[in-house]
Amino acid sequence: MLKYENVDIIAGGEKILSDINIEFKEGKLTTIIGPNGCGKTSLVSALNGSVRVSKGKILLDGEDYLSFDPKKRGRILSFLPQVRNTIPSISTGLLVSHGRFPYLGFARSMSARDKEAVEKAMEVSDVKKYEKVPVDVLSGGVRQRSFFALSLAQECEYMIADEPTTFLDIQGQRKILGLYRRLRDEGKTVVLVLHDILSALNISDEIVVMNDRKIVFKGTPADILESGIIEKVFGVRIKSFSDPEGVYYVIC
Amino acid sequence: MAKINIKNKGIMIAVLFALLFILFILCLSLGSVKISPTDIFRALIKDGKLNDAGDIPQKTIIIIRNIRLPRVIGGLLAGIGLSVAGVILQGVMNNALASPNTIGVGSGAGFFVMLSLLLFPGKVWAQPVFAFFGALIATLSIFVLAYFSDTSRITIILAGITVSSFLSAGINLIKTLNTDIIININSFLMGNLSGVTFKSIALPSIGITTGFIFAVLLSRPLNLLGLGDNVAASLGMRVSLARFLLLVISSILAGCVVSFGGILSFAGLIVPHICRKLFGNDARFLIPCSALLGGSFVMLCDLLSRILFAPYELPTGIIMSFVGGPFFMYLILRKKGGRRLHA
Repeated sequence: MLKYENVDIIAGGEKILSDINIEFKEGKLTTIIGPNGCGKTSLVSALNGSVRVSKGKILLDGEDYLSFDPKKRGRILSFLPQVRNTIPSISTGLLVSHGRFPYLGFARSMSARDKEAVEKAMEVSDVKKYEKVPVDVLSGGVRQRSFFALSLAQECEYMIADEPTTFLDIQGQRKILGLYRRLRDEGKTVVLVLHDILSALNISDEIVVMNDRKIVFKGTPADILESGIIEKVFGVRIKSFSDPEGVYYVIC
Repeated sequence: MAKINIKNKGIMIAVLFALLFILFILCLSLGSVKISPTDIFRALIKDGKLNDAGDIPQKTIIIIRNIRLPRVIGGLLAGIGLSVAGVILQGVMNNALASPNTIGVGSGAGFFVMLSLLLFPGKVWAQPVFAFFGALIATLSIFVLAYFSDTSRITIILAGITVSSFLSAGINLIKTLNTDIIININSFLMGNLSGVTFKSIALPSIGITTGFIFAVLLSRPLNLLGLGDNVAASLGMRVSLARFLLLVISSILAGCVVSFGGILSFAGLIVPHICRKLFGNDARFLIPCSALLGGSFVMLCDLLSRILFAPYELPTGIIMSFVGGPFFMYLILRKKGGRRLHA
């Protein structure tokens, strides 16, 4: 289980979050939603050390996660940050193979086992056919899937991603979210920061709602709807309809 | 965007090796006295007994061993050092225009070489050591400027060029005020390999070899830096440590070159770019290929500087600047606002 215990987070010299307590359940898909600037990104960025945890602990199965060696962290938990800023001009295959970095020794040569993991990650993410294509010429959707493949190649039990679907078209979003659901179905623990409330309601086992740099609610999609928290935080209402094929949500 | 796949990369590396070897022999052979490859070989393997009659004249042995060989090896080392330093600086700063000279590292090293001549005249070890610290100080200050302010890529280069001319003025000042410093200031500022001796490249050759080996070992972290700090950190890399080590390595490489060859320009810019075009941006290939091509490039420029206007000899740097200047211009103009390596 991944658990934040009384965590304060400092980013850019400013205290962004204080006294955060939250648990992400094993084998579940949890999404974090909230308006811009509510601290979602800072919350998950603590996982790769790009923001500083000044107080409290992040516990992984009871152990202090941040005290682990960085490479060990990269073998247990994969955190995929937003990747809009730097798009590398390297082949997709090389990009995905970087996912094995936490497993490589000082000589940094890939074993057969590493190569197999990279192949599998590319196949699952449906980017195998772009293996030789430079990442910076891929379309947004394929590019996001290659970064997904990179994080998949890490073969971690915990898969965390910050806004993996932002700026993708609807097909691209569905494909990415479908991939994360599949990981959940395989028993991995998935935590996603999402912008889209409806997607969050559709795919999540649990939803964490953040506002004004605080966690204001946590519960199943049904709990969320019942509580009326969405209206309070986002200023919109959600209605749900159901038919034999499933439940549909609409923003009013 | 015709990138070459792994199999062809093997062939290309073999071709680059062959090119390097041929140029190495040519550089030993051509010049005021032409020496045949067999004589070169004989002069190289001959033992100490110089006066042995028969095979080759003593003059040939002296030319090969004492004049041409150190100079050619100096060119090879300079090419390796500058090109690999260029690959590293471009990668770490994510700036296609970065190279030891365009960001002022060469002048930083040069300034410190002058200081070493002033403070420790006649001490051969002092020049490379001082050059390294000069290069490191220049590298870190430009890097801090680039990293902690939202400065555009072009601004970084402008800052580098400003630092360069400032330090060049400093170099000239030291020379003018201390007439007893034995150095040809023009050829030092242009970069010149004509005075290279085995003594002057002894320490730098160790530095450049070590730097090259560590650059190869750190090629995966250099690749990971291209993904952005955030992704690299997620993959368990110690980002700041890796970046610092890479900048130290590039300073060793560039500093060592300046200590014996002066401020040779543009090899660190042109060679990595040609290699990026040919092999893509994977540092694992880029570093060895740039080293091979860089060695060839500087040896060729040095050869041209010796034979083009014989019996007059140009400083090596003049030829490099004639080739490099237009190329730098092309890089600046190709994309407005300065290009990132990674979009």
